[in-house]
Amino acid sequence: MYTLTPHSLSTAPDAFRLRRRSRPCRAAIATRPSTTSPHHTDDTPMKPTNVAIDDPTSLRSTWSQKAWVASGFVSILTPLAKSAVAAADSGSVFEPLLAAYAGYVLADLASGVFHWAVDNYGGPSTPVFGSQIEAFQGHHRWPWTITRREFANNLHPLARAVIFSVLPIEALLDVTEAGAAAHAFVGTCAGCVMLSQQFHAWAHEKARRVPRAVAALQAAGVLVSRQMHGAHHRPPYNINYCIVSGAWNGVLDEYKVFEAMEMILFFRFAVRPRSWSEPRPEWREEEEEEAEEAAAL
Amino acid sequence: MACTSLPKHPLTLLRAPINKSSPPSPPAFPSLSNASHSQFFGIKLSASSLPNPSHSPKRSMLVFAKVSEGNVPPSFTLKDQDGKNVSLSKFKGKPVVLYFYPADETPGCTKQACAFRDSYEKFKKAGAEVVGISGDDPSSHKAFAKKYRLPFTLLSDDGNKVRKQWGVPSDLFGTLPGRQTYVIDKNGVVRLVYNNQFQPEKHVDETLKLLQTL
Repeated sequence: MYTLTPHSLSTAPDAFRLRRRSRPCRAAIATRPSTTSPHHTDDTPMKPTNVAIDDPTSLRSTWSQKAWVASGFVSILTPLAKSAVAAADSGSVFEPLLAAYAGYVLADLASGVFHWAVDNYGGPSTPVFGSQIEAFQGHHRWPWTITRREFANNLHPLARAVIFSVLPIEALLDVTEAGAAAHAFVGTCAGCVMLSQQFHAWAHEKARRVPRAVAALQAAGVLVSRQMHGAHHRPPYNINYCIVSGAWNGVLDEYKVFEAMEMILFFRFAVRPRSWSEPRPEWREEEEEEAEEAAAL
Repeated sequence: MACTSLPKHPLTLLRAPINKSSPPSPPAFPSLSNASHSQFFGIKLSASSLPNPSHSPKRSMLVFAKVSEGNVPPSFTLKDQDGKNVSLSKFKGKPVVLYFYPADETPGCTKQACAFRDSYEKFKKAGAEVVGISGDDPSSHKAFAKKYRLPFTLLSDDGNKVRKQWGVPSDLFGTLPGRQTYVIDKNGVVRLVYNNQFQPEKHVDETLKLLQTL
């Protein structure tokens, strides 16, 4: 039969009840590291700071960030080059192209799952992902800040993730002498994942400032559009998580896939996702003009 | 036995059809083959939820039979949101819409409770009472009812005993308590069993539809 309801959990049931009813789960941005356990809602007291206003130099790309992104491109282009060579040798392009398309499709799904996880669980003190979780929460409050970040500044965390994922996979593919399709899949998937943050930024950019080719791709549904992603930026931020093409959003939301996963996690581990509660007033989205006026005061 | 016809179009395979049980089942007694079926998005998941009868301890009540249409369900006494004991027999003489839901303050359950609240007048007009049941304790129900201004009774099924006794199936391979609603007529006989985990508002439509025919 199904597992226990949250109230039957033997570990600190009273504390759980108190946590459940005391206040809605809220995002937290720490100005100093929190010592809270990463498995529970991070209630680190927060003082949200908008770096775009308070520290604009932090939006510029540093040399190390540029180096990471450059290395990221190398790790993406290498499998693509291998794939092109192998395809030329074998004379068959259909399989690698199909594999590349599959990589692009999977990247969209992966972006949604990652986005859902960091939007809903953990906090600034979560190992490995803490800073990303913090950044995503800040992004909900000041979504326009992403458009002010320079390219490498925006992409470098994903570049790191891609490098450390692609290197072992490519090593394995080389050892097993995998064909063009495998390399095409890896290169495209990793490439779309790394560039997803740029696609994300374009989805926040004002229409007139987006390059025409990008606008065309957004209109065609190849890249996530401003309208599609805008639907995510409404409390309680529980839909349209995918940010490569957004193609998976319809299916995932219609069949309540994320809600099902949230319910399972709730009944298994007694953890409520942030999207089950309305954001607190100090976390409501602030318009660009609003933030600048507030800073001027 | 729950029966369902799976629609032919692949996309609609995932839609939850109405779960209607077949005509009255035999009197309740322990049975190895009594498996619980869950209509999760129209895909039937069967999970045997019974203990092995050869290991069963002496029980004062029969817990193995699933409540289906045509049955008279076993009575129970549970605490409501004010801590008062409420028996199912209290509602005899009028139809009851008894809905089992996973937990307070979860999105689906909130939608469902609010849907019942918004249609409460229609239920009253049909002479029916609405009662929600979950494993949460009375204080959780009280807070939930207060927050969403729920005008009906919420009962605390401590340890999910009644849920198990009535054979409410679980979803997603046992990880989620199922969302199943029973409409019991004024004579205490179950007339509809409706299961739908992820379209909670449909429970209101289906039960109202049935009530119009009573």
